Amino acid sequence: MGKTLFEKIWDAHIVVEKQSGPSLIYIDRHLVHEVTSPQAFDGLRMNNRKVRRPDLTVATMDHNVPTTNRRLPILDQTSAIQIQTLAKNCKDFGIQLFDIASPNQGIVHVIGPQLGITLPGSTIVCGDSHTSTHGAFGALAFGIGTSEVEHVLASQTLWLEKPKPFEIRVEGKRKNPHAVTAKDIILSIIKNIGTGGGTGTVVEYRGEGITDLSMEQRMTICNMSIEAGARAGLIAPDEKTFDYLRGRKYTPKNYESLVDYWRETLKTDSDATFEKKYVLHIDDIAPQVSWGTNPGMTCDVTDSVPSPDDYSKGDQNQKKGAQKALEYMDLKPGTPITDIKVDRVFIGSCTNARLEDLIEASKVVKNRKVSPHVRAMVVPGSQMVKQQAEEMGLDKIFIDANFEWREAGCSMCLGMNPDILSPGERCASTSNRNFEGRQGTGGRTHLVSPVMAAAAAIEGHFVDVREMDLS
Amino acid sequence: MKGHIIKYARDNIDTDVIIPGQYLKIHDYAELATHAMEGLDPNFHSKVKDGDFILSGKNFGCGSSREHAPIALSHSGIKAVLALSFARIFYRNAVDGAFLLPIEIGEDAYNAISEGDEVNIDISKNEIKNITKNQTYGMKPFSEIIGKIIEAGGLFNYKPD
Repeated sequence: MGKTLFEKIWDAHIVVEKQSGPSLIYIDRHLVHEVTSPQAFDGLRMNNRKVRRPDLTVATMDHNVPTTNRRLPILDQTSAIQIQTLAKNCKDFGIQLFDIASPNQGIVHVIGPQLGITLPGSTIVCGDSHTSTHGAFGALAFGIGTSEVEHVLASQTLWLEKPKPFEIRVEGKRKNPHAVTAKDIILSIIKNIGTGGGTGTVVEYRGEGITDLSMEQRMTICNMSIEAGARAGLIAPDEKTFDYLRGRKYTPKNYESLVDYWRETLKTDSDATFEKKYVLHIDDIAPQVSWGTNPGMTCDVTDSVPSPDDYSKGDQNQKKGAQKALEYMDLKPGTPITDIKVDRVFIGSCTNARLEDLIEASKVVKNRKVSPHVRAMVVPGSQMVKQQAEEMGLDKIFIDANFEWREAGCSMCLGMNPDILSPGERCASTSNRNFEGRQGTGGRTHLVSPVMAAAAAIEGHFVDVREMDLS
Repeated sequence: MKGHIIKYARDNIDTDVIIPGQYLKIHDYAELATHAMEGLDPNFHSKVKDGDFILSGKNFGCGSSREHAPIALSHSGIKAVLALSFARIFYRNAVDGAFLLPIEIGEDAYNAISEGDEVNIDISKNEIKNITKNQTYGMKPFSEIIGKIIEAGGLFNYKPD
């Protein structure tokens, strides 16, 4: 019987396998950042252990770095300590670090692919749940906790129970691909299968709706696999994948022979079976806006805020969840989404802060001004993205429209640095989580695509971006 | 293992309410614990007692990979979380550091157990006894490896056969 792409990658990385139970899996790439690593390095020191493969380990600072002027000292002492600790740990253990002054610094899931560190067919881990992003390249990539970070640092392996393969087919063609984006596809999927819909599985995204996407768009899809509860999400590599990685800073020297091998091997066999299947037709999908406090609480921009009864379809816990969410979000059922006013707009995060995201958003913003009551910011995903955008003049478009143009980092996605919402503030955000307090205590998050966020900044409320001229 | 229940009757309790992002810079676990569940229940820290259990719905611990989430609960005194289901990373984090027991329960236990009930958890029998209500419910047994890691006291003490 044939195998799925996930099963092939899994099988190729088994170090120890038993009749039943977990397998010991080899890890090809370990990405490290300042927040989930300090205790892991402390653990190594306590036990006199070394990092087994520093050459397969790469670190950067992204979660709590300031996105303002980098020449100034970091005011938040606890952030400063965490950042200095990572620098010391990397020095002590011989790990390559892209620090705050590096032109390669950025969100770990943006720089991995940009530097050619992310490779098809590899296993990639990081102490960050959005590691699933790298699955866009046909890698098996997933987030781990700090104990597992220590285990990988020490042994370059992990004990893992094998997840089940889950096929999500995206069929059809979007009528307006500038207005209906990869973000709208993945939010539609999560809305339909739920935040636990992918539990215990590795999703393979397939179909015309996926192969049509660029690499950066595919990263947006795989990034949010975790929001559906999946262990990881991946997409079989194709010529777009191979072209994207060709000639990057750390692309292997024998790249073309690797491509020949990947082309032959990294695909799901025609007779392979998936444990679970879901199909999304995208011909008629609308831009999506989340209204609640988890990414599954999402609707079309043309809809109104649902009532807890309509949302829960009889499930009491879901109903209670929706009631609490509406209370927290200060929304009333029946309110048209386009009537919801926003105070802040955040274009950033590992979901949507790549060059294409900024290009698309800039088309909405060009020759327009941010609504006077809105504070809007763009936080590029990496310093490389920022530089490329500036070479294209995108910074001027955003700044002329009264957007703030920041340095790279996770920023307002998770409220660890000074970029946070004030209590009660409502934000159109291109990030991945609308959990209570995620962007700052009492802050209210609506997840949207970069073009939808840009349009909300201009109009001061949500609008159907399909009605704007984005050519 | 005997303790009292703190019940959050909802699904999708996420890591950002278990320990909000701004506290991930705290390395002192006792201090971290003072902010546990702050995003959902600001009274949690004052009401939690050593040995208590949390009871909740589906997909407990969804979201971030932060190990700070089970650490903050553990150092608040929580010995186990009983939930209809768990998000995978939270589950592994709880077990790997031997911070607390993530116990999967059924709808019967979820509906019957109330806030403040005293329960006794017997892992060897896969049984939860509600002392307050004099009822007994089953729990999902731990898989072989999870059971062994728990027995060993965490991932780094676990030695495969």
